[in-house]
Amino acid sequence: MARKRNPARLVIALSVAAVLAVFLLYTSIAGDGTPSLAPSALAGKKGVVTLVGDVRPGYRGDSYAGGLRFKLSDRDGASKQTVTVVYTGSVSDQFRAGREVSVKGELRNGTFVAVKDSLVTKCPSKYTAKKS
Amino acid sequence: MPELGRAALVATLGLVLYALVAGAVAARTRRRRLAESAQTALLLTFVTTGVATLVLLLAFARNDYSFVYVWELTSDQLPIQYTLAALWGGQAGSLLFWLLLLTVYSAAAVLLNRRASRDLTVWVVPVLATVMLFFAFMLVVVSSPFATQVAPADGRGLNPSLQNPYMLVHPIFLYLGYVGLTIPFAFAIGSLLARRKDERWIVATRRATLVAWTALGVGQLIGSKWAYEEVGWGGFYAWDPVENAALMPWLAATAFLHSVMVQEKRGMLRLWNVLLVILAFSLSIFGTFLTRSGILSSVHSFTESPIGAWFLGFLAFVVLGSLLLVFARLPLLRTRARLESLVSREATFLYNNLLLVALTLTILWGVTYPIVHEMFLGESRIVGPGYYNFFFVIFGLPLLLLMGIGPLVAWRRASLRSLGLTFAWPAGVAAVTGLVLLALGAGSSIPGLIAYSFSAFVLASIGLEFVRGTRARRALSGGSWPSAFAALVSRNRRRYGGYIVHASIVVLAIGIAGASLYDSVGEGRLTRGSSLAVGDYRLTYRDLVERPGANATLVRAVLDVERGGEQLGVVEAGKNAYTVERQVSNEVGVRTDYLTGEDLFVIAEQVNPDGSVYLRVFVKPLVNLLWLAGFIFLLGSLITLWPDAREQRRLAVRYRGAEAHADS
Repeated sequence: MARKRNPARLVIALSVAAVLAVFLLYTSIAGDGTPSLAPSALAGKKGVVTLVGDVRPGYRGDSYAGGLRFKLSDRDGASKQTVTVVYTGSVSDQFRAGREVSVKGELRNGTFVAVKDSLVTKCPSKYTAKKS
Repeated sequence: MPELGRAALVATLGLVLYALVAGAVAARTRRRRLAESAQTALLLTFVTTGVATLVLLLAFARNDYSFVYVWELTSDQLPIQYTLAALWGGQAGSLLFWLLLLTVYSAAAVLLNRRASRDLTVWVVPVLATVMLFFAFMLVVVSSPFATQVAPADGRGLNPSLQNPYMLVHPIFLYLGYVGLTIPFAFAIGSLLARRKDERWIVATRRATLVAWTALGVGQLIGSKWAYEEVGWGGFYAWDPVENAALMPWLAATAFLHSVMVQEKRGMLRLWNVLLVILAFSLSIFGTFLTRSGILSSVHSFTESPIGAWFLGFLAFVVLGSLLLVFARLPLLRTRARLESLVSREATFLYNNLLLVALTLTILWGVTYPIVHEMFLGESRIVGPGYYNFFFVIFGLPLLLLMGIGPLVAWRRASLRSLGLTFAWPAGVAAVTGLVLLALGAGSSIPGLIAYSFSAFVLASIGLEFVRGTRARRALSGGSWPSAFAALVSRNRRRYGGYIVHASIVVLAIGIAGASLYDSVGEGRLTRGSSLAVGDYRLTYRDLVERPGANATLVRAVLDVERGGEQLGVVEAGKNAYTVERQVSNEVGVRTDYLTGEDLFVIAEQVNPDGSVYLRVFVKPLVNLLWLAGFIFLLGSLITLWPDAREQRRLAVRYRGAEAHADS
């Protein structure tokens, strides 16, 4: 007796194939995201990256007039190396020395020039910090 | 007092350990008395966990800073409502709150099912006890809220952004959702352990699943409202890992709620449903792992704690254990019924499920992508909102359309002719809507135009269903249109409540499309007397005022609002400076047009010493439909959840018959 065809399997197979196709299409057109780097790993990197680190004391400037300049070091003091960031756009009230931030941009002549409005400051909203 | 709290938690741990061991032995050896004592132990955990929670609440109410947890999250100046809500504002307290809700859900599940589904409940108790054991262990051994110290004079205060009315309820709803997903999971696993072939576990947990799903949905909307007003960047959802952590189990549970109907009606998708329940529960644990492990960079930093590894271990145990059990029970999950046609109600449910699961997995992939990339290629990469937005449109639009198609297609097989007749009106309404919107200029966003046309289609098909149903009910029993309508909904709560939920999703989609795809934005530095024009609005900076608040100093830029030459009043935006917390928070100004659902949304990015302000202003059309959708969603869910004696009787007869058949 001939085996009965199961349309459900066909539907599932076609759907999975369609999803994969769309996924490949997207990733080939739009790329697969930006690298997320610590300041100590930034040297020599070309193109747009997301820099993640802690804000060092002594930031200055105006993010809406000439740019806010601050230095970032690796999270939790993993390395002493710092990177100077020039940023324009919105700055969260949570932004201050010691806070962890992520900012998108690229390295130009030793300074990390940030994309406008790309600064995200981690909200120290909940849960106790890791006990050392 | 802290000793009482600790003792209560140790008692909970002992009780769940007993419930697990005694429950497992009782289920295996079919010892009824032992099973009952395991159930009693499980019920008692509500009392002991309740005592622990009460101790902590009292410590908060008395500002007892000898409790480290209380000191970390409150201060003398903190208003009482936020002081008490700080219970779930920190890690240990949130774990305790989680456990408390789990004991409530478990007690309700056991009490409601121990007579009606005795054989199944016997196996469910050890599963529930296993989940409880993990949380009780965490609270007793790893992260206790009852750690003490020499009491400092004042507490550290609560983060200002959490001092918002929405934050009083948002976590409660989210936890109700996350924790509630334990119940269908426990019953599904219990059913597999008991080697049952029937759908009893689905029927037994339908309401619990709906409660959890509703709570998770409402919780996310409240969270969006909080983010919109308090975080104040001009949006309501940012695809942050922590937000995604709540969205993923909700999507999986949505798929499950649809596919169970296919299993109930046709006996199909049995394996799929078990897998969906495991996925939804695992994602709720995965979300907790994400938010507490620090493994991913999120705007929320409640991530730096050592309990992430414990959650990862528990997640691995849940996933591997469940999948092994499913594999061992595969013969029980085979389905005899087949999909007869690709154009049928069950087929549309299948498409809906595939899209929902694809969207869930796509989000999961985006969330875990940085870890996977770093693991295999040595460099972390993150995907931005563009990735999520793309797939949200790709999967979301067909899902929207299916909401209008699915309920109107016949079970088993539908002819193309009947489809044409059924969908003529909705399709016509959609086409007219699309053309009118195109003429009005909505073609600036093609996804937006499609979303609105699809929304019109779905609303028309839902409306048609209500009209047809009411007409039929009136023809059957006479009476007025309103009474026929009320009788229709009352007699088919699940179906028509579901339609109302669908309508809420359409309203949500209209709101999201309007606020995201058709918004206007402008920004600039203003001195007193100067103006900024955004969209049809003109804002004139009148003055900067300062006034004291309950526990902060409030600074506000007062702006006169004008549209088309008409004065609309003032809007105030500024900052709050919190003294104890030594933090500043942005306080946005929002002017809502209740007729159009549009918001004028003002952020005072900078308040400068010279009195000038830097403003960012958004005009967000239809954004208030998002919040309206929340109320409609809740209404639909409540109708669906409302007890239906007729349905209960029908199910009781059906399962009495099924059990008699199984016993013979």
